[in-house]
Amino acid sequence: MRKIFEIALGIIAAIGGFVDIGDLVFNTQAGARFGYQLLWAVPVGVLGIMVFAEMSGRVAAIAKKANFELVRERYGPRLALVTLVASLVLTFLTLAAEIGGVGLAFTLLFDGPEQTFMFIGAILLGAACWKLSFGAIERIFGYGGLALLVYVAAALHFRPDWGDIGRGFVPDVQDATVYWYFAVGLVAAAFMPYEIYFYSSGAREEGWEEKDLGVNRANAIIGYGLGGLLSVGLLVTAAQVFNPAGVDPGHLGTVALGAQAAYGETGLLLALLGILFAIGGAAIDTCFSFAYNLAQYMGWQWGKKADDPRRWTMSWMAAMVGGYAVVATGIDPVELTEYAVVLSVVALPLTYLPVLLVAGDREVMGDHVNGVLARTLGWAYFGLICVLTVAAPILLFATNGGGG
Amino acid sequence: MAAVVLLAGCGGPIEDDELERGVQTLESTAAEGRLVALDVVEDRTKVTFTRVHARNLGEDAAHEAEKLSDAEARPGNAQAKAEAVRLAQDIDSALGDLQVSPSDRSVARDVEQRLDRLSQRAARLSERL
Repeated sequence: MRKIFEIALGIIAAIGGFVDIGDLVFNTQAGARFGYQLLWAVPVGVLGIMVFAEMSGRVAAIAKKANFELVRERYGPRLALVTLVASLVLTFLTLAAEIGGVGLAFTLLFDGPEQTFMFIGAILLGAACWKLSFGAIERIFGYGGLALLVYVAAALHFRPDWGDIGRGFVPDVQDATVYWYFAVGLVAAAFMPYEIYFYSSGAREEGWEEKDLGVNRANAIIGYGLGGLLSVGLLVTAAQVFNPAGVDPGHLGTVALGAQAAYGETGLLLALLGILFAIGGAAIDTCFSFAYNLAQYMGWQWGKKADDPRRWTMSWMAAMVGGYAVVATGIDPVELTEYAVVLSVVALPLTYLPVLLVAGDREVMGDHVNGVLARTLGWAYFGLICVLTVAAPILLFATNGGGG
Repeated sequence: MAAVVLLAGCGGPIEDDELERGVQTLESTAAEGRLVALDVVEDRTKVTFTRVHARNLGEDAAHEAEKLSDAEARPGNAQAKAEAVRLAQDIDSALGDLQVSPSDRSVARDVEQRLDRLSQRAARLSERL
């Protein structure tokens, strides 16, 4: 049992990346518009984030350094500052969207004014961050989010054509720019920078050491594997429910409708609870990541167990209040996070390069330096990340944000 | 950024492809509303969810109606534009009925049939454009 709970960090970090409010709608849109054709993009992203998460956890366990401590050390002051500003802006925007998403999920469950539920959501999330231990946060939100496995069951419930699904995992070169917009978005979602900030800082919060490298590997493979499975479940369910009906999803409620189509009220409730925990977990991922990055850059003490975490605590509180203030303006959280997903790729190379450099540095890592496989995959994925960085903003404009 | 993209598309009468996109949005809204109504008919949903989701979809239809109504038509697509506005209003009205009576199965059956017809009307209009 204890072993099962040890992979909570990987699960909550993966849920934050794969099924936050933007991804829930984005995955559902991808399935509704293109059927199974974009399934291949999910494992491409999953394998990449597994590689980098494993590396960052290994660095945290051996070098005892989280991601932004590496950024500060490896980059000059200017580049480190650019990385900090980019990461803070994107993390903050995503946090605002997630707080809005929690409000929307409450509204779908209980009906009532969205703004009131967004306020209640922000208060509850703040209370969870304040009162709960890091381990309790991981377990409650990570395992609560697994209620979204209802989408995997729903995908199977409709008896999909396995031949079509198999063909969906083979990349299909198409001319349509909207297709590539969604493909890039699905791959990029796996690499959301805050996932790696949260994962590496979480590994430090949990005090991982050399003996925990197996736990790190299990977290990276099982946690992110589950995130990818949920993503596939959403996409395949949408391909079967919404594609034939001609529905183009744009609301969080549409995502829940897919589970309801399979299992009625039970499916709906499981979906809404899973959505609530997944988005809540993503909100905490981003809120803490904001504070981790700032504290690690500034050289402050940080984390739940720090002797003097006052400045770190004030940072996440300020982010939570500011995030709520953004959604209180009435901005659509789904739209906000979809832009954040695509724009986040601009910060991707700056986020992942230090992990790759340190994990490959024998002086720092000793016997645990990257092997041939990790080095090859790491640099190959870093190349892909650079391509995404160029392609994503172009596709965003060319497709009018996926609208065609 | 969305504003920049939208502004780039502003100015002059509505083009056929813009009108077609609007009609396709309406077709999707009607089709989704039909799925929501169908689950009420089969008693396999929650009242709060039906009310909130019907309201959200209704707002989409109302927004599309306003947008199309405000747009200037070209001589060649004035009739289609007027038809699209009527379509949007009818979809909004059907979803409004579902929002008001989210647990009434007979209302839901009626809404489901109306939205089915509206969705087909939108598909035909979209094909003509």
